[in-house]
Amino acid sequence: MRPELPTRRDEAWRWADLRHAEAFLETPAPANDALPETDHLWLDLAGPRQLFVAGQPVGAAAQAPTPDRTLPRHPLADLAAARATAGATLEIPAGADAGLVQLLHVGRGGAAHGITRVILGAGARLTLVESFADEGQDHWLNHRLDAELGPGAELVRVSRTLSGHGLVSDRAAVRMREASRFVHLTLGLGAASLRAEVEVLLEGAGAHAEVDGILLADGAAVLDALTRLDHRVPDTSSRQRWRLVAGGTAQASIAGGVAVARHAQKTDAEQSLKALLLRRTAAVNLKPELEIFADDVACAHGCTVGELDRAALFYLGTRGVPPAEAEALLTLAFVADALAGLPEGALQDALDAEARAWLARHAGGRA
Amino acid sequence: MSLPETLREEVRNPEAAAAVEALSTYRWGFTSDVEQEFAPKGLSEETVRFISAKKGEPEWMLEWRLRAFRLWQQMEPPQWAKLSIPPIDYQDAYYYAAPKTKPALKSLDELDPEIRRTYEKLGIPLEEQKVLAGVEGARRVAVDAVFDSVSVATTFREELKKVGVIFLSISEAIREHPELVRRHLGSVVPVRDNYFACLNSAVFSDGTFVLVPKGVRCPMELSTYFRINAENTGQFERTLIVAEEGSYVSYLEGCTAPMRDENQLHAAVVELIAETDAEIKYSTVQNWYPGDREGKGGIYNFVTKRALCRGARSKVSWTQVETGSAITWKYPSCVLMGEESVGEFYSVAVTNNFQQADTGTKMIHLGARTRSRIISKGISAGRSNNSYRGLVRIGPSATGARNFTQCDSLLLGDRCGAHTIPYIEVRNPSAQVEHEATTSKISEDQKFYAMSRGLPEEEAVALIVNGFCREVLQTLPMEFAVEAQKLLGISLEGSVG
Repeated sequence: MRPELPTRRDEAWRWADLRHAEAFLETPAPANDALPETDHLWLDLAGPRQLFVAGQPVGAAAQAPTPDRTLPRHPLADLAAARATAGATLEIPAGADAGLVQLLHVGRGGAAHGITRVILGAGARLTLVESFADEGQDHWLNHRLDAELGPGAELVRVSRTLSGHGLVSDRAAVRMREASRFVHLTLGLGAASLRAEVEVLLEGAGAHAEVDGILLADGAAVLDALTRLDHRVPDTSSRQRWRLVAGGTAQASIAGGVAVARHAQKTDAEQSLKALLLRRTAAVNLKPELEIFADDVACAHGCTVGELDRAALFYLGTRGVPPAEAEALLTLAFVADALAGLPEGALQDALDAEARAWLARHAGGRA
Repeated sequence: MSLPETLREEVRNPEAAAAVEALSTYRWGFTSDVEQEFAPKGLSEETVRFISAKKGEPEWMLEWRLRAFRLWQQMEPPQWAKLSIPPIDYQDAYYYAAPKTKPALKSLDELDPEIRRTYEKLGIPLEEQKVLAGVEGARRVAVDAVFDSVSVATTFREELKKVGVIFLSISEAIREHPELVRRHLGSVVPVRDNYFACLNSAVFSDGTFVLVPKGVRCPMELSTYFRINAENTGQFERTLIVAEEGSYVSYLEGCTAPMRDENQLHAAVVELIAETDAEIKYSTVQNWYPGDREGKGGIYNFVTKRALCRGARSKVSWTQVETGSAITWKYPSCVLMGEESVGEFYSVAVTNNFQQADTGTKMIHLGARTRSRIISKGISAGRSNNSYRGLVRIGPSATGARNFTQCDSLLLGDRCGAHTIPYIEVRNPSAQVEHEATTSKISEDQKFYAMSRGLPEEEAVALIVNGFCREVLQTLPMEFAVEAQKLLGISLEGSVG
């Protein structure tokens, strides 16, 4: 039976573009042994790497991880669990530091599903960069990450979409035990469609999550993100910082959610969602949502959509900075806010450089 | 009025318990007996024809209603709100109830004494009664009293007539100014806009029509008190206000309802049209029966309110204080079409016991340099749920549009919920949209201070809540502000301690 996909009539999918999911729902990516050129797709950072082409690992045996069945149901993630035939399992024992691991998923003319399973023991640490790209044709990459963070564990995950065609749907669902720390950055750079979701279940006191994102949309891209920070026990905290820039006829959207369960007192949750439009043909959508059932909490959100600060532009002009450069500089500063959650160092620098390069290409000629 | 047996045994001071209980039940829960004439129970084309015939409507009006009814039959009730709405049996309700026709009234003294007593119990006429009794210097407020579904008395008509303001019940307006009603009715809220608006279009019983002509500043605040009275009677009010070029009107709407066990459905539609340089100020205090402390009974308030700022520099300001109703589904909105038009929404929504409210606004910016401002204060107590839901949309042509939104939620107790669901959709790079929201509880320091000055806890909380709502309450006309402050206190009774 053909599974039902969500539509724009569903509130949570109001701004999503699932045309390629509909088109490729029953069309698996064709088998093809030819390897794509991927050198330019990796971040130039040390650490183990694994390439997946159309959902299949290259140079390794295919084995699908067991998904975490206790996670909330989800139409696309459930589909990934049912149809994925391969994936990566990263189980880090207590106290170990696994450093940085890169997984690269390349889509190819059809649908491919994938699962990454991360289990961190008490005090374990891992930095995981998952990148999504394609071979220059329409496709659908549907991916899920299931992660469990033991007490005091720390996971940094970057979901980086470079895809120029088709649709990438990536959903990270993370369970956090006490005093664990989770940092997530969604970096959407592509000109295609993206649906990026992050759901965090804060289930241990002292757990802290930072869920940030940068969506840089141009051409006819439809970049759509949704988060839900579910504070289930007392004394947990979260921060969300999202920066959106849309040019061309692109649309960038973020629905940022915070939920505080009854009895989850002393929750401290903040969201900052900001967007810039480069052209009148582009669109941005923001939805900072709060769902609160406990009274002793500090929950706030702030949102702005607007132009660059005219006073700052004028100031840079008086210092001799050409207008285009001044705009690029201020746009960069605007975007860089969302990188602040990442640990300082090579990873942060590499992503900053990517955002910088995108802005140099796209934000130079503002309308 | 008695405590459950199990609870009674636990209470050591039964007198105190009885006093608390008396306070926490609906103060204005009473019913009055006036002969009613009902439409047959249930909803069918026949009911629609009955209502239209009863009101002596022209053929086009009947056709309009029938079209709405046929569309409604194909529509589904909205499911997206954060509300748990028990299934509504639309066939198990009366759609028309009118007091029996009486000779036209020359003054309020001739009004049915039963109705007058009802007004007195409601405390409605305060200022109005003075004016009606001929007290010099009293502030002038025109009252179009809607008792159940049909206007019983309209006063001040002469004075309004002098300046050319048309202030009629909508049934009268259909008879006397059919061309005006026909031109504007459904032009802001189309028949098929949503499930409840569509239902209203088919069966609306009465309501108000106001037209303020070009350049006229309406000499008094216009006011309609709604009151649901007959058991099992849905109320389907229809309000249409047109402010022509350069005019100004302030309209007050306030309501209380008697206590009933049966759920009562209310699906009103309010349409406002502001032409060039016109301004409409629409204020509501809503205090319908919220159901008892166990969540039994109460009004379902499913209202569609929308303003069209059609002309340049026109302005519409919505202010609402929502304390009643078991379920509130209400989003007074502004379509900002004219250049530099302004939309404002000031709201206080209080929920207690098992009340549910999903309310907010939509600001649709279409014209250049349009501005909007949203201030929303939600207060949840008991086991209630209170959601702010709003949309700010800036269209591609709305160059230089501005919006500022502030949504604050206050939780009293740990069994209630406060939710904020704002949508921001921007299509123009020169727009500036700012949104801020906070959720908090009552500051213990503030409460301690107020109590140390001798205020009982409940009064201290009411004081702090009034302070929290200050920005909204100060936009209300004077007499409403006083009533609203009292209502906030009454609504929160039994929520502390």
